[in-house]
Amino acid sequence: MTDIAAAHPTDPFDAGALNASEGLDPVDPAYAHVLRITTAMNLVPIAIGASVFDALLIRHLEGPYGLITLLAWFIAIFVIVSFPARRMQRWGYKIGEGQLRVARGWLFRTDTIVPFVRVQHIDVGQGPVERWFGLSHLIVHTSGTHNSTVTLPGLPADLAAAMRETIRRHIQTDFA
Amino acid sequence: MSESVAADSATLPAEAEPDWQRLHPATLALAIVRLGPRSLNFLPAVAAIGIAGKWIYAIPALLAFLLFSLLAAWLKWLRFRFAVGTDEVVIESGILSRQHRTIPFDRIQDVSIEQGLIARALGIAKVGFETGAGGAGKENEANLDAIGLEAAQALRTTIRGHRSAPVAAAPAAAAVEGEAAPPAADEDKLLFAMGPRQLVVAGLFNFSLAALAVVGAGMQFFDNLLPFNVFDPRDWVDIAETYGLDQWVVAHRWVAGVGALISLLFIGFVSGIATMAFANWDFRLTREPRSLRRTRGLTTRTDVAIPVRRVQAAILVTGWFRKRFGWHELRLQSLASDGGKEKDHQVVPFAQLADIDPVLAEIAIARAAEDTDWQHSHRIVALGGFVGAVGATIGGLTAVSFGQPLGWLGPVIGVLIALASLFGARFHRWIDLGDRVAIRRGMWKPKTTLLPHASVQSADLKTDFILRPLGLGTLVFGVPGGSSLASHEIPAIPLGVAQELRRRILTAKARA
Repeated sequence: MTDIAAAHPTDPFDAGALNASEGLDPVDPAYAHVLRITTAMNLVPIAIGASVFDALLIRHLEGPYGLITLLAWFIAIFVIVSFPARRMQRWGYKIGEGQLRVARGWLFRTDTIVPFVRVQHIDVGQGPVERWFGLSHLIVHTSGTHNSTVTLPGLPADLAAAMRETIRRHIQTDFA
Repeated sequence: MSESVAADSATLPAEAEPDWQRLHPATLALAIVRLGPRSLNFLPAVAAIGIAGKWIYAIPALLAFLLFSLLAAWLKWLRFRFAVGTDEVVIESGILSRQHRTIPFDRIQDVSIEQGLIARALGIAKVGFETGAGGAGKENEANLDAIGLEAAQALRTTIRGHRSAPVAAAPAAAAVEGEAAPPAADEDKLLFAMGPRQLVVAGLFNFSLAALAVVGAGMQFFDNLLPFNVFDPRDWVDIAETYGLDQWVVAHRWVAGVGALISLLFIGFVSGIATMAFANWDFRLTREPRSLRRTRGLTTRTDVAIPVRRVQAAILVTGWFRKRFGWHELRLQSLASDGGKEKDHQVVPFAQLADIDPVLAEIAIARAAEDTDWQHSHRIVALGGFVGAVGATIGGLTAVSFGQPLGWLGPVIGVLIALASLFGARFHRWIDLGDRVAIRRGMWKPKTTLLPHASVQSADLKTDFILRPLGLGTLVFGVPGGSSLASHEIPAIPLGVAQELRRRILTAKARA
């Protein structure tokens, strides 16, 4: 533990060490699959579209047929295979003393803290893909204009429900 | 006090199955009515069928569309349920992806009841819960669309009753109220007013060339109406010749220049004074028992009450020129639930700091002392300007390489932007004043934000691939009210300092 904390600056390619050095818990690894499927659902249609475009137009124009198709599928598969796991590892959260901390991203990393007493209301949501893997996402609403919603994805459904109950106990009045 | 109440009742709804209710069945009728406008989307498809000459399919397709929409509305209605507990409202919605939303009564600022024409005929109403959760889009607003009017009114009474009860019961809360009580003694104290003379002074500083653009655009428009081009000197010469003015004008060319300048200045000043006078005629800011009340305006007179306890931050704005004369403008950021278009409330449009201080005292947010030792943001904040400068330079040089001599403007503007951003970076300052932070930025239009720690709802610490190697971070605060574009942030400060500041701010107690 101590040597991880000492390893500063953090190796940008070892995301596990990043979360540990900042004292954050990782999200459920299954979230990588959720990300992968949603990414695939976005990219595969685009790749198919590129293939159709290639077959219909470039071949018709007698251009270099096959180049766009190959490139599109290569990029799509590369992104689907390699990125989701890394993106999952960049997410971290910590339920601390009276506050929720959520960190995400690497190139542009944002580390948000929301004190429980500032929470307006809480959503626990579950999309079809998430349900497949037994995951939920927790959405915390604050009254701030910036950051009015803080989303934490990739939580096991029962943990998300438990977190909701924990936070709900802290909600109290401070506005007139 | 209220925490224990919440803890007691929190155990109840968790175990006992809440009393689930559905929306009023008449909501389905409303959905049918809404189908009317929506089926317009279907017109292109109908047209396509018509063009293809297959009218036989038009009717079944339309029927299928209607049936499908109705089925969707019915499913949505079936899967939407809500329960009113002892201290919270629970809403579950969604056909495929389920949403479970809990809104404690404590957090509901106000309950709105809205009735459209058809809803009134059906005796139903849309209930909106104003939670003060950020203004980011309609999907964040919790509402029940729609339930019976009587049920809606009963619900509002329940929630309002809950809100006032703890205040009356708890002695601690009464003490808090007591702090606000003394100003109640001298009711309707006048804090700030603007007479005609002040309006003229303010208007002079309000000099803007923006109006000139409007005038110019207007002239362009009238070009086609007038028999000659206003902006073409040759036309003027022609006119002058016909009236025998040419000799005189050519001899005294400078007269035309001076005349043009004077008319420009005149238009600028007059438009400045006019806009100021129309907006702020008979400006009065008074202190009422619980709120600041502002009345102003010549043609449209507005009367706005800003509850003091809802004020989240104070913003002092000035300009590089008017600052030399000590003129400032005070805006208050508050939980704007008054439904106004205005997000910040301008409470003092134009005054010396000595006149602004009493207003700040009323909301208990004092200014930083004159000799404050401001902390500076890192120079790296100028980077954005540099990127713009490089872009302008590259663009200009590209134009030059294509043989366009005007392209040299690019590098010149680029250098100017770079210098301005480098100079402007010095004006990003901040200081922690114990119970509030002061953030100052801008050279051209200096803006000082006084942000009480207690107003901060959440805090982001952002780093990116540029700031990280420098050990810097940007603190962004989530504050209620205000526009989402103008967020409160302290850019590029050392990470350790930022973390410490964030810890201190987020542990602050709520404002009394």
